[in-house]
Amino acid sequence: MASLDTVSITILLGALLVMAGIMSSLVALRFGAPLLLAFLGVGLLAGEGGPGGIKFDDVQAAYLVGSVALGLILFDGGLRTRLSTFRSVLAPAGTLATVGVLVTAALTAPMAWLTLGLRPLEALLVGAVIASTDAAAVFFLLHAQGLRLRQRVNATLEVESATNDPFAIFLTIVLVEILMVGDKTWSAIILLLLREAILGAIIGQLGGRAMVLVLNRLDLPQGLHAPFIAAGALVIFGLAQSLHGSGFLAVYLAGLVVGNRATRARSTLIAFLDAATWLAQIAMFVLLGLLAWPSLLLQHALPALAIAAVLMFVARPAAVFLCLAPFHFSVREKAFISWVGLRGAVGIFLASIPLLVKLDKAQLYFDIGFVVVAVSLLVQGWTIPYAARRLRIAVARDVVSAHRVELDLPGQLSQELVGYRVAVGSPYLRHGITPTWAKLTLVVREERVLTPEEASSAREGDHLYFLAPPERAQTLDRFFVDMPSSMLPDPRLLGDFFVSSEATLGALAEIYNLPVESEQTSTTLSDYFLEQLGRVPRQGDKVRLGDVVLQAHTISESRLVTVGIQLEESETPEPENLIAWAKAKIARWRGQG
Amino acid sequence: MPLTDLVTPNAIMPALKVNNKKQAIAELAAKAAVLTGQSERDILEILLQREKLGSTGVGNGVAIPHGKLPKLGKLFGLFAHLDRAVDFEALDNQPVDLVFLLLAPEGAGADHLKALARVARLLRDPVVVNKLRESRDADALYAVLALTPASAA
Repeated sequence: MASLDTVSITILLGALLVMAGIMSSLVALRFGAPLLLAFLGVGLLAGEGGPGGIKFDDVQAAYLVGSVALGLILFDGGLRTRLSTFRSVLAPAGTLATVGVLVTAALTAPMAWLTLGLRPLEALLVGAVIASTDAAAVFFLLHAQGLRLRQRVNATLEVESATNDPFAIFLTIVLVEILMVGDKTWSAIILLLLREAILGAIIGQLGGRAMVLVLNRLDLPQGLHAPFIAAGALVIFGLAQSLHGSGFLAVYLAGLVVGNRATRARSTLIAFLDAATWLAQIAMFVLLGLLAWPSLLLQHALPALAIAAVLMFVARPAAVFLCLAPFHFSVREKAFISWVGLRGAVGIFLASIPLLVKLDKAQLYFDIGFVVVAVSLLVQGWTIPYAARRLRIAVARDVVSAHRVELDLPGQLSQELVGYRVAVGSPYLRHGITPTWAKLTLVVREERVLTPEEASSAREGDHLYFLAPPERAQTLDRFFVDMPSSMLPDPRLLGDFFVSSEATLGALAEIYNLPVESEQTSTTLSDYFLEQLGRVPRQGDKVRLGDVVLQAHTISESRLVTVGIQLEESETPEPENLIAWAKAKIARWRGQG
Repeated sequence: MPLTDLVTPNAIMPALKVNNKKQAIAELAAKAAVLTGQSERDILEILLQREKLGSTGVGNGVAIPHGKLPKLGKLFGLFAHLDRAVDFEALDNQPVDLVFLLLAPEGAGADHLKALARVARLLRDPVVVNKLRESRDADALYAVLALTPASAA
């Protein structure tokens, strides 16, 4: 019977810890502290070194939970990444995820060698353990802080943090193997890396497709779609790992595939994974906190702090500036990407690998890894919003985004129900118009459900539900954002005609007879602005192209979205325009002051 | 300068019934093909190509679809007052009910840009736009297009 009691007590304690973790989020949010640090703190306090006194030294269990949690987090990360975003930053993010990890590890190692008296290879292991940025920490901090970054910076950070884990894990395992069983030849290491990457990529791709196929073909009971996908993700992870491919890479890619194809139960899947990744984060951080001994951590605190400082101020920036040199990023953007090199659970997780295989000095690696991660979360995590403002990377929230409700309609995939609340300043209320592919089906007004005919015209506070194709639902947002009319830029100041910043110079030249050199025909307008201005454009910035003036019309998330084409001024300048222009200028200066 | 050198009195559609942007452009292309004797498919294609770069909805319910048609003899304008405003994916999200189509021949160069600028500026004048909106009669619409921004003010 005693063993039954142990089980009950384990359940009780485990559940209580998760609860404490969830509650700690309230405290953390109030003080703006990084949430993940709070979870880690709960584990630390509950452990045998802290007041909780729970005895936990099961590295195997911690590693298991950590692997599952990481798998789910990476899958979720892939699921939420648009394929177009992924492709657009694959080159910079991929370089950061591979070369960047190596450079970071190599530059951090000398400090470990110096302060801890380790052999060079052991020092490199310390570097490798803390070389990867943590997907969970980065996704989470960027979202939880409500930061809106220039889209390319945001995408690079997210894709980097998701794809560098597999590489850092690989590096750590190879180093551990060399330390355990002796030398490996370079060719053997490269072969191993190729095998991991290629197998991981193939299994991820195929697995993702298979999941989509099964999900759309099989009539699973309602509510089982999401768990099916989550289990599928873990099958892919486990399979890839068992075949010595990178399971971490595989789940991320599988998530990318599933997230970018039409599937049923999409919204429930997102909601389910949201909850699952939260739990995974909490479980992983609390367990890793439990595994650590505060008193032991303090023993190596000084060298660990020195290593953390080198990592944050030297190794990461050097790696970022080196890797991003070929891609157009401004110095400020590179500085910001350096600073958001957040370490997280992956670091501690990797630091537990030496413990798992009982490597010599395993405890040391673990303690150093733990402290470095904690310092990174504390220092970098806490200062990210400040850094974003200081480096002028963050974009003020200009428009409150419209809250969209999406409901699946089982039985088909081509349409879903999309709901919005009608806000006072929304274009819909002012003009009552939507694209023809969106069909108004239901109006909820004062707790009553009406047909569009019964409701006649929309009023403020109504909830409207449209039938629309899921992939286009997002474009309905613009009709429902609460946008004070005064905030719309006066279009007459910013061009006669408008084109997307993605249009190429060649396409414009074709229509407007503009002189464009042949090697520039495929340059997009946003690149042309960057090239001509040497910085991120601000609204109203002008660039000449032959007889027309191009003007930055709309900027969103520090990215040029729409360009105004100002045709040659007519014979007589229009005085009212000049006055309006001056007024707008003054208003802008005031706004900035 | 008025737009009468671009539009002929028969190039006015006083109450065009369409349900969406695509249909509006298709109807204008069809009419332009009849009046210019050019291929309807070519016209539609160049107009849609321009829309792909960004909507020609310039704001305040006005759209100015335009493009370059190699075989055209001279600049050609066509004006339509839509029976019911439609979403034109304009930047200000306002539905569009006034549409001016402008086609330019290959060699028009600077004239093309100047003509576009004139159309854009006339249709930006609130007085002109209000007069156009009040009218459902081809002759009356033509008379408004014959105004210059200054004389309208």
